[in-house]
Amino acid sequence: MVIEIPEFIVPFLPWIRGTIGLSLVGLIFIGAMGAVWLERKLSANIQSRMGPCRVGKYGLLQLVADAIKLFTKEDLRPLNADKLLFNNAPIFIMASVFLVLVAIPVGAVFINGTEYPLAVTEMDISVLYIEAMSAISIFGIFMVAYGSNNKYSLLGAFRNFARMVGYEVPLGITVVSVAVMTGSLDIVEISRAQGLIWNIFLQPIGFFVFFVAIMADMGRLPFDQNESEEELIAGWITEYCGMRFGLSYFAEYMHMILGSFLIALLFLGGWNVPAFVANNAVLGLIAPTGFLLVKVVFVIMVIIGLRWAIPRFRIDQVVDLSWKRLFPLALLNLVWAVGLGLYLGA
Amino acid sequence: MEEKLEANEMIIHLGPQHPMQPGPFRLNLRLKGETVVGADIELGFIHKGIEKILENKTYLQGITIVDRVCYLVALVNEECFIGCAEKLLGIEPPARAQYIRVILEELTRIQSHLLGTGEFGEFIGFVSMFMYTIREREDILSLIDMITGARITHSYLKFGGVRDDLPEGFKERAIPILNKVKKAVDDFDQMFHSDRIFRERTVGVGVLTADAAKSLGVSGPVLRATGVPFDIRKNEPYLVYKDLDFKVCTETAGDCFARVQVRLNEIRESIYIIEQCLDQIPDGPLFPEGTPYGRRTPVMRVPAGEVFHRVEDPRGEMGMYMISDGSDKPYRVKIRGPYYPTLQALPPLIIGTTVADVASISGSMDGCTSEADR
Amino acid sequence: MVLKNIKYAIRNITRPPVTRMYPEKPTELSDRFRGLQKLDKSKCIGCGICANTCPNVAIKIVKAPIAPGSEKKRWFPEIDIGHCLFCGLCIDQCPKDALTSGKEYTKGLVKWKHKDLLIGPDKLAREVDLDEGDEK
Repeated sequence: MVIEIPEFIVPFLPWIRGTIGLSLVGLIFIGAMGAVWLERKLSANIQSRMGPCRVGKYGLLQLVADAIKLFTKEDLRPLNADKLLFNNAPIFIMASVFLVLVAIPVGAVFINGTEYPLAVTEMDISVLYIEAMSAISIFGIFMVAYGSNNKYSLLGAFRNFARMVGYEVPLGITVVSVAVMTGSLDIVEISRAQGLIWNIFLQPIGFFVFFVAIMADMGRLPFDQNESEEELIAGWITEYCGMRFGLSYFAEYMHMILGSFLIALLFLGGWNVPAFVANNAVLGLIAPTGFLLVKVVFVIMVIIGLRWAIPRFRIDQVVDLSWKRLFPLALLNLVWAVGLGLYLGA
Repeated sequence: MEEKLEANEMIIHLGPQHPMQPGPFRLNLRLKGETVVGADIELGFIHKGIEKILENKTYLQGITIVDRVCYLVALVNEECFIGCAEKLLGIEPPARAQYIRVILEELTRIQSHLLGTGEFGEFIGFVSMFMYTIREREDILSLIDMITGARITHSYLKFGGVRDDLPEGFKERAIPILNKVKKAVDDFDQMFHSDRIFRERTVGVGVLTADAAKSLGVSGPVLRATGVPFDIRKNEPYLVYKDLDFKVCTETAGDCFARVQVRLNEIRESIYIIEQCLDQIPDGPLFPEGTPYGRRTPVMRVPAGEVFHRVEDPRGEMGMYMISDGSDKPYRVKIRGPYYPTLQALPPLIIGTTVADVASISGSMDGCTSEADR
Repeated sequence: MVLKNIKYAIRNITRPPVTRMYPEKPTELSDRFRGLQKLDKSKCIGCGICANTCPNVAIKIVKAPIAPGSEKKRWFPEIDIGHCLFCGLCIDQCPKDALTSGKEYTKGLVKWKHKDLLIGPDKLAREVDLDEGDEK
């Protein structure tokens, strides 16, 4: 369902969308820097030490210093590495992130009681599109790992495929069950239809399966076998130096931010606020977006905290977990969702 | 490992520089996919030539050199060396000095096991475990620092006794710290027991049978985790261990989980030993009366002879075989380190497992490559 | 399943960090910490036992005046800090207890050239400040 737009804005719509898109690209880079800073500070807190604290107040400028350092490093390439794959892999990884970014709404503004979601495009099938585009990054990771001509990276590539094959299926099924209950594949619609009763209360099993599957999708501990530092030095990015490494590293954090947005929009109620806030002139502009961002930050902190609190699986246990435990749970959730959808619809 | 490789096999070096090793050694793995089908170890990257250096230094200077065989457990190495020399000289330290030595060695054992457990947690991906155990280890190191004046490579023991007495108020400082460590070890134990991911990574992984361990000469927590109750403090007591009451911790499974359990239990036993020592320690001199041995060591010519002395190192059995020819420098000192045989047990254990298990098994052996190479 | 770990991690968040901010707060040294040695020139007889005992041959006996500005010279130890282990054997073996342990471990001991690391008897006796001769 498309929102009605006033007449005078229509010729400028492409420009508005383009501006939002470009500013989102810039914002997501800053967001990734913020996520790395948050990870370093939170992990330091868990481990009784201080994270970055000398560069800027509370170490906020540490990431700027790191980015400057990465730009000034020499760009090495191993002698027998495949030039095409090695040089162009960050393009794939970044492309996947930006393509997903296009469809995710980062907030909404309420003007005169009508709601305008802040998204670059609104498609009827945006959830399906998001999931398809997020699977492109597998190619990027495989290109790096295979093209590096390094045995450690190769092991990382194999593990990556084994993991992704197993976890795309429960992820898809859970998303479909949410869409079935709502009756639409549009992410704006799903987020709006939750009202004040979030999907996490209606489909708790679905939330658990989705959370585990998306953590595996993002490659975060306990599922980061492809870059496990203890066994494989650095896994798939062993041979990268300088800004190539920086791009791949930041891409992982951008992926994490987008995954958190998905969790917040699909299960935690998106930007829904009570009616009296929505009708208020000033609060209607800031409150929904702010509420969504608070939820996203909370989800990011939980994901980061889990990384530093628990050990890592072995790759055969990961595949085991997905096919033997998550897949049946996801099917169970689908049946429950269909039943709930019929009951609520009737 | 030099034979021809088949179609899907490759050789990978867990080489001298690797984030998961306790020290530099090269482990050549022959992999088929992710499964290990062959393994080979090469040592010698940190060989310092300690045994040769000891032939050119006097016995007193040798104490500072022997400190550095394994720098984490320096006091136990000194005990072994000084024990050999005291056997040849025919002197015995008085009771108070022996109790102080036991207190220090048990403190060393606690901090070494804490570090080993933390490193093991780090190798299976639980990086924060290392930080948790290091936090507790700092308190123990400050206790050792209070007595000896240094946190590592102390050079504190002397022939016939110890260099300095316990400082004032040591017991009041030590008891709260030991209680805190006991509580922390209980927390770690519970975390290991109830964590499902940890149990899946360690239970049934790297099982060493008692016969294989005995035939290779493995000792220490690795041997006790297979069910053999061999502890030099009970079998061949030295110092005042025969007057102290403690039990030998064993487990029967022989896998990585059992080894970690044995180490955590040994920390509790060590705390119990230290509490007993602090209660029972008698007053008295620090050096034997009527002999010239004191804090200022006299010019020592050790009578000619050969002797072998062994002590219970946190990693196993450490022994030194000393030959003296009557002069003031030893003729030959042969050091038998505890980690070298344990490392030989590693290649047969990892054949058939995956790369991830290699990290887990080699971490549970808790080694210090510096004493494998000397 | 993994709840104990998560509980422990959350409990650790509430505890303060144990890091000590080094240059602002100096290290806490124990009482028996062995730093740079201190020489008592009135007790030293120049016997050379400390030089013989040192495991790393870091002590050399040199001729130096017995007080600043004096003509009379005696033999005193000069320690090469680049080779010293800070083991304390020289302090133990001195027959007249002329050497004791000080507490300096960075002040005046961090230099660019090796010849600046030879701490002479005047610095060991603390007649001259340790920082003297440092290029700023």
